Amino acid sequence: MSTSEAPKKVTLRSCDEHEFKVDIPVASRSILLKNMIEDVGETDQSIPLPNVNEKVLKKVLEWCEHHVKDAQPTNDDDDSRRRNTDIEDWDQKFLNVEQDMLFEIILAANYLDIKPLLDIGCKTVANMIKGKSPEEIRQTFNIINDFTPEEEEQIRKENEWAEDR
Amino acid sequence: MSASGTALPLPNDLEATWSFLESGIDQIMNRLEQGLSYKRYMDLYTGAFVFLEVIHYQVVCNFEGGIYNYCTSSRMNPGFASEPLAGPGSNINNNRGANLMGSDLYARLISYLERHLTQIRAESEQYMDENLLRYYTKQWEKYTTASSYVHHVFRYLNRHWVKREIDEGRKTVYDVYTLTLVSWRDNMFSAVQHNVMDAVKMLIQRQRNGETVETGLIKLVVESFVSLGLDDADSTKSTLDVYRDHFEKPFVEATQNYYKTESEKFVSENSVTEYMKKAEARLLEEEGRVQAYLHPTTFKNLITTCETVLVKDHTDIMWDEFQNLLNMDKLDDLHRMYLLLSRIPDGLDPLREGFEKHVRKAGHSSIEKIAAEGADANMEPKTYVDALLEVHKKYNDMVQNAFRGEAGFVASLDKACREFVNRNEVCKSSTSKSPELLARFCDSLLRKSAKNPEEGDLEDVLNSIMTVFKYVEDKDVFQKFYSKMLAKRLVNGTSASEDAESSMISKLKEACGFEYTSKLQRMFTDMGLSKDLNDQFRDKMDKDNEMSHVDFSVLVLGTASWPLQPSTTNFNIPEEVEKTFQRFKMFYQNKHSGRKLNWLFHLSKGELKTNYIKASKTGYTFQVSTYQMGLLLQYNKETSYTFEYLKQSTDLTPDVLIGQLGTLVKAKVLLMEVKSEQKVEVEETHKTVEEDRKLLMQAAIVRIMKTRKTLKHVTLVQEVISQLSNRFKPKVPDIKKCIDVLLEKEYIERVDGQKDMFSYVA
Repeated sequence: MSTSEAPKKVTLRSCDEHEFKVDIPVASRSILLKNMIEDVGETDQSIPLPNVNEKVLKKVLEWCEHHVKDAQPTNDDDDSRRRNTDIEDWDQKFLNVEQDMLFEIILAANYLDIKPLLDIGCKTVANMIKGKSPEEIRQTFNIINDFTPEEEEQIRKENEWAEDR
Repeated sequence: MSASGTALPLPNDLEATWSFLESGIDQIMNRLEQGLSYKRYMDLYTGAFVFLEVIHYQVVCNFEGGIYNYCTSSRMNPGFASEPLAGPGSNINNNRGANLMGSDLYARLISYLERHLTQIRAESEQYMDENLLRYYTKQWEKYTTASSYVHHVFRYLNRHWVKREIDEGRKTVYDVYTLTLVSWRDNMFSAVQHNVMDAVKMLIQRQRNGETVETGLIKLVVESFVSLGLDDADSTKSTLDVYRDHFEKPFVEATQNYYKTESEKFVSENSVTEYMKKAEARLLEEEGRVQAYLHPTTFKNLITTCETVLVKDHTDIMWDEFQNLLNMDKLDDLHRMYLLLSRIPDGLDPLREGFEKHVRKAGHSSIEKIAAEGADANMEPKTYVDALLEVHKKYNDMVQNAFRGEAGFVASLDKACREFVNRNEVCKSSTSKSPELLARFCDSLLRKSAKNPEEGDLEDVLNSIMTVFKYVEDKDVFQKFYSKMLAKRLVNGTSASEDAESSMISKLKEACGFEYTSKLQRMFTDMGLSKDLNDQFRDKMDKDNEMSHVDFSVLVLGTASWPLQPSTTNFNIPEEVEKTFQRFKMFYQNKHSGRKLNWLFHLSKGELKTNYIKASKTGYTFQVSTYQMGLLLQYNKETSYTFEYLKQSTDLTPDVLIGQLGTLVKAKVLLMEVKSEQKVEVEETHKTVEEDRKLLMQAAIVRIMKTRKTLKHVTLVQEVISQLSNRFKPKVPDIKKCIDVLLEKEYIERVDGQKDMFSYVA
């Protein structure tokens, strides 16, 4: 092993057996991978990611690459980060994908423990909900209405105070 | 499940999931040294993840006045992406499910740790002492390393279930790493800590006895006890409670007992100086011990305890030894005693007192010695000042080196010096002897003489004079003598160096302020002005073509600044000089009309060239006083005169005339008898000091009464003393006399009906 100028690399393997060689700092955007590399040490073994497929992993790594220099989030800024729905331009463009892909990115971010990515993913979904009626929301997300009319009326009443008039 | 074909258990099967995870945890806990592959690590994480998986996310945002909560929850599932997201209804159920499963996992983890630790504890029972420490620390290191792995593998549990439990206020749920610590504390630490501490104490005792021991073991025990200090109120914070109660307390107690026994034994068998070395070494050793392997917070408690046992409990013998060390000038031991006693409150007080007494005694005996050697009246100023300085220097060095220049000792030194400088064998007739001798010493240095020191040395000597001067109480006496002798040096032209003179004056100014030296400075100004005046006069004479065969120069000196006595006799100026004398008078009156010139012929002098003894071509030149000049010039006309004739022609009083003639007789120019001068002058100076003091005291009384209006006798006396203390120490009877004078002059009056009460008369 060398104490190289170029960052060292690890190999990530998606569930569909595609391998990605990535700089450790990029992989370390994932707390899961960061902890593991620190715990187990650097080896030549490839790292299996049984929950992520090639397409999604590629996308996630693109994000990690772009954000490699960001500071690691701390618990303290959790709240302030969540309280606003702003998403920076690059991320907005990055998440401008098919809805299926968006959800897969969110799930991968959750699994790999990449908090900032999980945040913007969920914010994007939240922005899709904003200003829509329940029926529109159901359409957008392909949700089956499993409420009885009585239940629905009940919920409407409880949330009346939040209605925009 | 997943395409990679792992043996991951089905996510909805708790038993299967747990047994999969348990085998992994067991591997980490017991066989980590055999390594862990990325794959195994990922499988364990993923196993726990898919079992728990839940995305719980909440966006609360203000948007057109509305608040939206968005929660999503989902179970991992290969077909997820193409299926609809679960609706809000099922969302709630799923969260509940995850909660339940989280607590299942958590509970199983707890009972696993319990079993694991019970095993470790059971094994520990076969070990004692150092072996127990070795076992405890080894297990601790292994366990905590493994725990941090487990903590990471269960990160998903930490992120969601644990976090929520803690957010909801559950005090008994911790993140996984903290849980492992709690478990160690409850299942391992609580059972073995007594034996561990006994072993630690034993090990440290052996080290104190001089053995080499494995201190790394203790360091690890300390780390372990510190890590176990968990704050019950907030598990993310740590406290030092466990370390403090179970380590520091027993350790410090053992230390106290150890040193109590050791120091008592040592003191009974060795000298105090040996004991101090021992105590110093022990304190250093304990300070090093904290740095080497204890927690830094122990420093204060440990060292304070050691200081009590090693120093405070033995102060009496050290205080008793102090005088011996002073007597023998044992600087190293004194320094050591200072360092030890400065560690405890009030430890130094008796030393400071003893030191002051000792210095005072040394000062007194030094002066007594020189007083016995020389005749009291003619004390050589240099001998006296050197004796004072020698004592001061010796003990000042001691303060600086042995006592580190500590303020209390500096104060003791100053107090002692002030005492023996002002009140000693030589001063017993009068306290103003010290300033007088000091001023005389200055004069001997600043007057032209064969013994003048080099310029650099002179500066050093002047500085050391200032050291003594600082302690002199009657600074006014010094000023009187100094200005008198300065006047003499200037008038007679015997000052050795103008630089040295002004350097001394600026030192005095620095010590006593501008007013103290203003007259002295004025004297130098007058000297300069006089030089210019002479030049101008000579120019004028040249211009007027009034060439004189008399070489004439004059000093015009302000009466107020110069301590010069007017002549006690009349004098007729010899006619040879008369003309020049009158011209100068006129010249001066033109220049400064209204000023009165008093001629101090008794301080003037002249040079006469002889024609009657042609020993060489040039003949003799006599340096004579003006009076003698007046006498000798008459012998140009006749060769003998009667005393009566000379008395008439010169108009001198008989005793002055006798004195003048006496010198001439002694030099065998003429014939008669002599009386010495110096003693009379000294008495006069002391008399003028007394006069000045009376005036100062009266002025002070009037000042005080003017502001205070009425005052009791005692208070008045006190205030006068305090106002004048920077000049001299007024004597109470003298103040009373001054009060009487002022009563007589009606500046103040007695208040009717009140004893000893005065009031100011406006």
